Amino acid sequence: MPMEREIVLDVRGVHHWFGPTLVLYDVNLRIIRGEIVALVGPSGCGKSTLLRAIIGTHPPEKGEIVMIERDRSHSVVRSPGRDRGIVYQNYSLFPFLTARENVAMGLMLDQTSIPYRMFRYGRWRRMRREHLREAGDLLDRLMLGHAADQYPSEMSGGMRQRVAIAQTMIMKPRLMMLDEPFGALDEATREDLQRMLLTLYQENCRARQEGQCPPYTIMIVTHELNEAIYVGDRVVGLSQYWDWRKEGLERSPGATIVYDRVAPVYFPDQERNFETFIEKRRVIREAAFDAQHLQDRNEYLQFWSQLDHGLGEGILA
Amino acid sequence: MLKQTISRRNGLLLGLLSVILLLALYSTLSWRQHRKNPEDTTIPGWSQLATGVIKSVEPNSRSGERWILVDSRATAGRLFLGLFYGVAGAVLIGLLMGCFPVAEALLAPPMSLLAKVPPTAALAVFFVLVGTDTSMFVAMIAFGVLPTLAQSVYLAVRDVRQEMLFKAYTLGASSGELIWNVIIPIIMPRLIDAIRLQIGPAMVFLIAAEMVVGDVGFGYRIRLQSRLLNMSVVYPYLAVLAAFGFMMDFILRHIQKKCFAWYSKQR
Repeated sequence: MPMEREIVLDVRGVHHWFGPTLVLYDVNLRIIRGEIVALVGPSGCGKSTLLRAIIGTHPPEKGEIVMIERDRSHSVVRSPGRDRGIVYQNYSLFPFLTARENVAMGLMLDQTSIPYRMFRYGRWRRMRREHLREAGDLLDRLMLGHAADQYPSEMSGGMRQRVAIAQTMIMKPRLMMLDEPFGALDEATREDLQRMLLTLYQENCRARQEGQCPPYTIMIVTHELNEAIYVGDRVVGLSQYWDWRKEGLERSPGATIVYDRVAPVYFPDQERNFETFIEKRRVIREAAFDAQHLQDRNEYLQFWSQLDHGLGEGILA
Repeated sequence: MLKQTISRRNGLLLGLLSVILLLALYSTLSWRQHRKNPEDTTIPGWSQLATGVIKSVEPNSRSGERWILVDSRATAGRLFLGLFYGVAGAVLIGLLMGCFPVAEALLAPPMSLLAKVPPTAALAVFFVLVGTDTSMFVAMIAFGVLPTLAQSVYLAVRDVRQEMLFKAYTLGASSGELIWNVIIPIIMPRLIDAIRLQIGPAMVFLIAAEMVVGDVGFGYRIRLQSRLLNMSVVYPYLAVLAAFGFMMDFILRHIQKKCFAWYSKQR
């Protein structure tokens, strides 16, 4: 009997238009707490649009995106909120703050207001010291203690991306979203950061074994299939290449979820074996990237049945 | 090779050399002029310049005032007040235009239009609207620098990446905090650059206005002494103006370097 799984995000029948063009068509996706979901798809299929809809900067025009709290209360996403963190490919760190201050920024914005900082200056200074200490601790954990007082312009791309991840982590969001986070990095740095994500996943698994709540739920958008399979415990494919005629539609309605399956789980100390990825990559390509191969959109959606059959690993076991 | 760097020592030496060459050129011109006419005051010699400086610094025999002091006080006061109002207005308008599309649609056309009107040409308008006292000079400088500065602030706000703003929202920022804690710190060094560029035009507007309607100030004194061909007073005044502009620029650069270290490191 599979244990009850806590859903943190429920994307329900989301449609999104750019002008007259339908970009996302009936996107449905539920994310379990503690998962690392890798979202892949061809360029321009709407991955970033879906991400923006989940963040709340561009809410969907039809359907809804619901964040579900631990007490099972629901909130429909209509604007950005601190329960959803985002890490962009271009880091988007605040250039005028050091690494430590960048990480502490969220705590300041979340726990205080401008009047509080102005009129309760003494308390704010004490709180600020605590925020900076907490940020410093997190940077130490991510092997960035030595760069805590450097500005983003003084850091390498890999260091900046670690700071960006720390900046999001410190807020303990219900869902962390990474939009092609390692796309601009060299191979070695990318591998380091992938291992860092797997370390977070390992913490999730450990927390679950101890009967605690897994702290990190991550959705990573990537165009690298190897990365998706290696980092994610689940791969979701979004694509415009599917057989929409079967559903009685007269023209392509845009991208929808066409692939959703579990992926092998790796831990940071395990070497990845690309050979075992070959077959998975072939299937993902066939399902989401092949414009000639138009299949029923449900053909490769086996994630939930795989879980029911006990095929999930790691947090999904 | 183009844009090759030179050592700091060589840079200083070359800078010093250019000043020496300028002084040598002036000395030659003055010497040649005085060979033709020993009484010449259009290109005064160094001793004549010293007399002019003394004349500006010592109490005047009629009014008892030290010209350089009263003129500096009047001109600097007008300039600082004008710049203060101009910068404050520009920051407010630029922020509004950069942050709110309605304000952008409303304010961007008049700003780009007003930026093309030379305030010296509109002197009569200020004369009619605010009179001839300090407020006229202040209004003229503020009006002169505001449209261009507001456009600089607006462009700087527009350059703040949207993703950074989205990120701040996900960190719990309100729109007010976004402006106060993210946008303003990012645009501040660029605002300083824009102010540095506007000091020159502000001085031009002020001196021109003082020449036309002033009864005290650098523009007034330069006009008066030029008419009397007292160039031994005019040149030191010009030197003080140049030194003042240079000092303002130096102070602003220093503030930018000290308060916004991240900006110079980024560049």
